[in-house]
This record gives sequence, C-alpha cells and structure tokens, in this order.
Amino acid sequence: MPNKDLAGRVAVAGVGTTRYGKLPEHDAYDLGVWALKEALADCGLGFDDIDGLIVNRIPDYQRFGEITGLNPRYTTITPGQGRFSGICIQTAAAVIAAGMAETVALVYGNNGRSAGDHYGGASDAYGSGGAGLWFPYGMTSPGAFHALMMRRHMEQYGTTPAQLGAVAMAFRKHASLNPDAVMRTPFTLEEYLAARFICEPLRLLDYCLINDGGVAMILTTAERARDLRKPPVYLRGFAQASEFAGSTFPPDDFWRRPIQSVAAEVYPMAGVGPADMDALMIYDNFTPTVLFSLEGFGFCPVGESGPWVADGKLQLGGALPTNTSGGHLSESYMQGWALNVEAVRQLRGECGARQVAGAELIQYVTAAPVITSMIYGKDAR
Amino acid sequence: MSDSAKPLPPEDAANRPFWDGAKRRVLMLQCCLDCGRHRLPAARYCARCRGERSEWVATSGAGVVESFCTFHKAYWPGFEREVPYAVVQVRLDEGVRLFSNLVDVPRDRIKSGMRVRAHFDAVTPEVTLVKFVQESK
Repeated sequence: MPNKDLAGRVAVAGVGTTRYGKLPEHDAYDLGVWALKEALADCGLGFDDIDGLIVNRIPDYQRFGEITGLNPRYTTITPGQGRFSGICIQTAAAVIAAGMAETVALVYGNNGRSAGDHYGGASDAYGSGGAGLWFPYGMTSPGAFHALMMRRHMEQYGTTPAQLGAVAMAFRKHASLNPDAVMRTPFTLEEYLAARFICEPLRLLDYCLINDGGVAMILTTAERARDLRKPPVYLRGFAQASEFAGSTFPPDDFWRRPIQSVAAEVYPMAGVGPADMDALMIYDNFTPTVLFSLEGFGFCPVGESGPWVADGKLQLGGALPTNTSGGHLSESYMQGWALNVEAVRQLRGECGARQVAGAELIQYVTAAPVITSMIYGKDAR
Repeated sequence: MSDSAKPLPPEDAANRPFWDGAKRRVLMLQCCLDCGRHRLPAARYCARCRGERSEWVATSGAGVVESFCTFHKAYWPGFEREVPYAVVQVRLDEGVRLFSNLVDVPRDRIKSGMRVRAHFDAVTPEVTLVKFVQESK
C-alpha cells in the first residue's frame, strides 16, 4: 500500500481543459499548451512555478519543454494509452512526496480525431502489441476485446443489452447538462437498441468518442495548494495493480482480482469505503468496463452490475452519480484525464447544472490491464 | 481462396513454426523445456518459469470456445463482403488461447463452451490459417 501518511498530503491545485471536438489547427503539443495555460490560470500560478513535468500522449517531452520554455527538475513521458492518466497522477504524487518536485504539471494532448487515429485495423496495437497475428481472422480493435468480455458476462450472469444501454443513457443525460460535451442529445432505450452494432454485443453507443482535445492538471503539496486561487482538492488515496500475464486475451475474471487488490489499498489509505463516495468517475472506453469496475470495487455484488445500473443509480440524483460530465461515451474520450478534472470540479462545486450537491468524496477508477484508482476529497482527511 | 484485401500474418521469424505447421495441417505451439508450459505468440522466455529453453511441438488442435463476438464493421476491404462475421476466442486443451473463426457453424449456433478442433484453411499457396470446426459428438 502507498504510505498511508501520504493521504491528503498532495492536492490538485489547478485543472485546465481545451474545447473538445475537431480542432485541426492544433497539434498534440498545441492542445497540451492550451490546457496547461488554462490550468495555470485556474490556480494562479505561472510557467516558472512548474518544477515537475509529466506529459502523456504528446509525442516528445523535450520538444514540449522547448516550446513552453520549461526546464523542470523532474520530467517523464508516458504512452498515449488511457490507463496512463491514473499512472501519471500517482507518479506525480510520489514525485511530490519524495521532494523531487514541488509543483508538477501533468499535460495531455490528443489530436487523434484530426490525425485520423484508428483503434482497429492495420494500426491496432491493443493487447500487448501482438494484435497482428489475429488480423487474418478479422480480429482487431479494443472494442472487439471488450465485446468478447461482455459476451461472457452476459452468458455467466444474464446481463442484458438494455442494462448496457442504461449506462450509455445515463452518461448522455449528464452530457446534456455539460456545455463542453461533444454529444449532448439524450436518447431513449429504443434508440440505444436501434443503434447499429459495431462488434456485437456492442453497439455504436457503447463506444467512446474519439476527438481532439487537451487536459492539464497542476498537483502540488497540500500546504502550497492552500495558498492558491482555488480550494485544494486533496488526493486522499491512490493505488495501482496490473494484469499483464496472458493479456493478449481477455481476463477470465473481468480484471476482478487486480481491481480487488487496488480496492484493498485505496480505501484504507483514504480511510473511507465505497459507500462514502458522493460520485464516481469510471474509465468508460466502452460501457462494459463500467460494469466490471462497479463489481470489482464492490459497489455492487459480483455479477449483479447489470440490474444494479438499470434503475438509474448512475444518474444525477441517483444513489451513485457516475461520469457526471458525460464521460468518454458522451463528453469526449480524453483517456481518463477529463474524468479526473470532472472529479476536481465537482468537489469545488463548479459544475453548474450537473453539480452533485455537497460532494465531498469522489473516486476515479480504471479497469484495464493496469488498474488505477484515486480518491479525491474536499477535505484532507 | 486468395483474397489480397485481407491481411496476412505478419512476417515474423519467431512465430514462423506456427505458420509452417499450419501449412502441414498441424497446430504447433512453443513449449517450455524447463516447466512444460505451452505458449503462443512465441517468446524467447517462458512467462511462468522464465526459462529460455523451448521447442515447438505438435498438438491435437482440440479446444473449447470461451467467447465470441460478431463484427458488423469491416476494418479491411477484404472483410466487407463477409460482415457480419464472428471471431471466436478458443482455449486449446494445452491452455493456450487463440482468436480465430469457426468454419461451417452459423453465427446463431455459436455457443461458449462448444468443443472445437483445428481446421486448416489454405488462404494462399503460402499461407494456411488455423480455423476451427465443431467437434463431432
């Protein structure tokens, strides 16, 4: 477990986001700089205050430092996979706790839509890079990987397409209240079920939205964050696990084992449990990962996520408002980053029509070959 | 049946014995000489015991369908005439998994848990794919 003494010692001081959509005038660097300027303005810091830099999806850290005139004490770069948003945030916390930097800028730039990025076909590298071996059989894309998992979940537990639809509908309803969301028109269950299949049992509305955009976060010590423009949002707990062995193929247990190992660390570190969460941000690359996350973290019993989500629990006003921004399915696929920003904005009370009243604790989770979770709090402990 | 618009297996020396085996209508797997574990795709080291000694061995080609999905979108031109088509996730009796296709089983008859055995489909004079057929009862 990460050192429990670190609970609440690092805080999010600033967050920044660009517009999302088709932004062909900006490359990934430009989108990162745009978001970083927003994040700095948010907390009232300047470029000279940054002494740690973590870039994600932006092609080159040195180039990023060159165009922004940054010479940080600590630098790292990570690949453009969504699981790395959580990894980066946890790395920043460790770097700050170790004194290797005091104020870390985390910068994400994604020009995937304008660059014509595809997650299936010849450029598919999902599944530890070995995807090409299966192309002759027509097997490709992370969507198909999740379709295979979902089929098994349906067969084992009786989960239905309408229950997946409840996830997609809830997030779209949230997006309708979010001016920054790319897809804002709510749909009915009938419309969900009428959407075309991409890889059955998954339909178009089960897939996230590839777009251009940038996100930045400024993390610093709790002490320093208290002196800045916005109220600090404290990192109360964080934990990580992985499942790489055999990961060319879907896991037998929907990643339950590594998720449970993260749960066994993140809640005790934060000194809270799943029932204490006012809202949840789940990495929703596809609707099934929402179900796998809910079961793994113990929000509902194993196998019961389908009926559990079907009666509106994930909606604003429900028992556990989830992805209040619309998430990857309806706001934009910013690979976890914008969901972490949404957690921060909710805890600050900045979310307008989609605000969760009195939110004090919000958890972020990713279910993937790397599982990460962070618990954010309005209070340090 | 040659179809140049469909992708062929990557030129990859490490996995060459698998494809050479398929051409001879044998399902070959790499096998660890230290702990006996089978593996595919090929790797220099065994993920269980980390041993470096291995050999390629013939298998019975028998296994079970663990899951399946149906592609309604064609990611390559060569699949446009085939959508919707199913991809199966097969676990061989040796424990190794593959993605593949079932031959002669209509999509609505595919079921997880179905016993299958390897079927060799020569798609070009050089390349034979390892597909599967339902095990006769």
